[in-house]
Amino acid sequence: MPIFGELALETIAGALPVVKDLDTEAWELPKAEILQVAYEIADGTRALLPRALHPAIPEYVTFVVTRYPESPVGPFNLAQVRLMARAGVHPRGYVLGTVASSAAAVAALRERWGYPAVAGEIALRRYHDRVRAVVRREDRAILELALVDPEIVSGSDLQYIHSVTLARVDGAAQLIQVDPHYTLHQASRGRAEVTSFDAAAWSAALVELTTPISASTSVCDTDLPRIRFVMDPETPVIRGTRKVR
Amino acid sequence: MKFGLFYELSVPRPWTRESERTVYNNALEQVKLADELGFDQVWAVEHHFLEEYSHCPAPELFLTACAMTTKRIRVGFGIVVCVPEFNHPIKIAERTAVLDILSGGRVEVGTGRSATWTELAGFNASPDVTKKSWDEFVRCLPRMWTSEKFEFEGEFWSMPRRTILPKVYQRPHPPMWVAVTSPGTELDAADRGLGSLGLTFGQFAEQEKRIAEYRRRVQLCEPVGEFVNDQVSTVNFLYCHEDDAIALKTGRQMANHFNYLAAQLMSVRETYPSKSYPSLGLLPQLRRQATGPDASEQAGEGLCLGGPERITRALKRWEACGVDRVNFLINTAESIPQAEVLSSLRLFAKEVMPTFNGGKC
Repeated sequence: MPIFGELALETIAGALPVVKDLDTEAWELPKAEILQVAYEIADGTRALLPRALHPAIPEYVTFVVTRYPESPVGPFNLAQVRLMARAGVHPRGYVLGTVASSAAAVAALRERWGYPAVAGEIALRRYHDRVRAVVRREDRAILELALVDPEIVSGSDLQYIHSVTLARVDGAAQLIQVDPHYTLHQASRGRAEVTSFDAAAWSAALVELTTPISASTSVCDTDLPRIRFVMDPETPVIRGTRKVR
Repeated sequence: MKFGLFYELSVPRPWTRESERTVYNNALEQVKLADELGFDQVWAVEHHFLEEYSHCPAPELFLTACAMTTKRIRVGFGIVVCVPEFNHPIKIAERTAVLDILSGGRVEVGTGRSATWTELAGFNASPDVTKKSWDEFVRCLPRMWTSEKFEFEGEFWSMPRRTILPKVYQRPHPPMWVAVTSPGTELDAADRGLGSLGLTFGQFAEQEKRIAEYRRRVQLCEPVGEFVNDQVSTVNFLYCHEDDAIALKTGRQMANHFNYLAAQLMSVRETYPSKSYPSLGLLPQLRRQATGPDASEQAGEGLCLGGPERITRALKRWEACGVDRVNFLINTAESIPQAEVLSSLRLFAKEVMPTFNGGKC
């Protein structure tokens, strides 16, 4: 049996977002711009991963920075750091940290989908030779990354892996699957570059970047969907998954 | 129709000093029995770094051990990775020739290019060019085996004029194959006159269509070797037991185990967008077979799990689809006790094999 995560739930239980109602309505999010950077990391992050999940082989993280020009709470930007994993046989990105650019987005992301969102500034800019993102909190850059030398690829060449958040639901910690749909209009790939990453600021203090994998960017219509599955963070998902709808 | 065994050599955790040795020894015992029972081939993968799923990075060594303990069964590289960071083509030509000599001309050479980021990045190889390097390698290998002197100037490797030794024992050279996971690769095989070494189960209708197109195309091929290998091989799970229910339960456990381990690996496409890897490859397709909607009540379509009659029916369907060879995964992560694996092989050989080819493999 593959190895499992080793997160001691009690160490973060007090800081978990509280999801009020799993009957979350979906948000349509048209014309989103996504920058995703994947990086291999050093071993030793199992203490960050819930016991229900298996670490990826090799271990890696994805940084996902998204500009949503339209949403029910107005335009906002979102940045996530995800520790990539397997929920049983399914690849998933366990969300370690999230920064959103508006207070309304922070509140909604926490309450509706369990993102550990905090407020910050997020810049996502396109240059002729790169797409660059900078995330700042309290006047300090906590993440600077880029896709370098973009080349156009087919939308079908990109694969976005669903996320899993950890939140408190009805008084108990639950993993929540967030599985957006994507209709891609443009896609590029390029070299991954992370010039600064304050791991502790993302609740990812054990994450040490080692080898760049890839970077991609896209323009797409997407969503934050209704919640379909929740999982017990302490039980292998093959036994601990509950279908919400 | 011919039958073979296909080995990933999966080793479950917890790993002990003896666990890998046990897996290898069990496999060798199975191969020895398969040889006595009339199975035609044994294949071994080349995989690196794939924890639990496959601890088989040196198929030439395992296959040599197989050849030395058997008399008739053919020994196949399933596959050798044709990417220069993994294998220098001269070494491939030399190793395959040595094994061909030692085995008395029983080697089959499957070729491929790896499908996981885990492996490609582990060797610092770019996923973007693996198909090109594979193409270059497969065009060179037959000439390296058969020409007295060989020289080459290519994109991925070059060598001055030398005599590559030893020469293969089979004349003109061993049959060559291509690992087919992504749709369309069977056409690459056909265009080059190479056998289609299918590594996905697929559904009957889909496979029948792909095989028909392969057959049509291979008629028009420009072979890279000195002869055309126009055979189609596919892979399947095998667990045969007199009681269908027991066989299905045990077999599905094995299949699910396999798929679970496979799912832990990191396919290229999961994280590295590349035209070179247009499909998810082997892993998700296997997953669908054993854990998809059709797998909950019964084994997936065409899987060889069950009693002899059920397995015979499935194989007849594959035969009707145009499949020439079926290679079986007979255990995963030692989830089935060795004695039961051997019993399954014996029952298959006694009750199913005689239905095909007049009982001769």
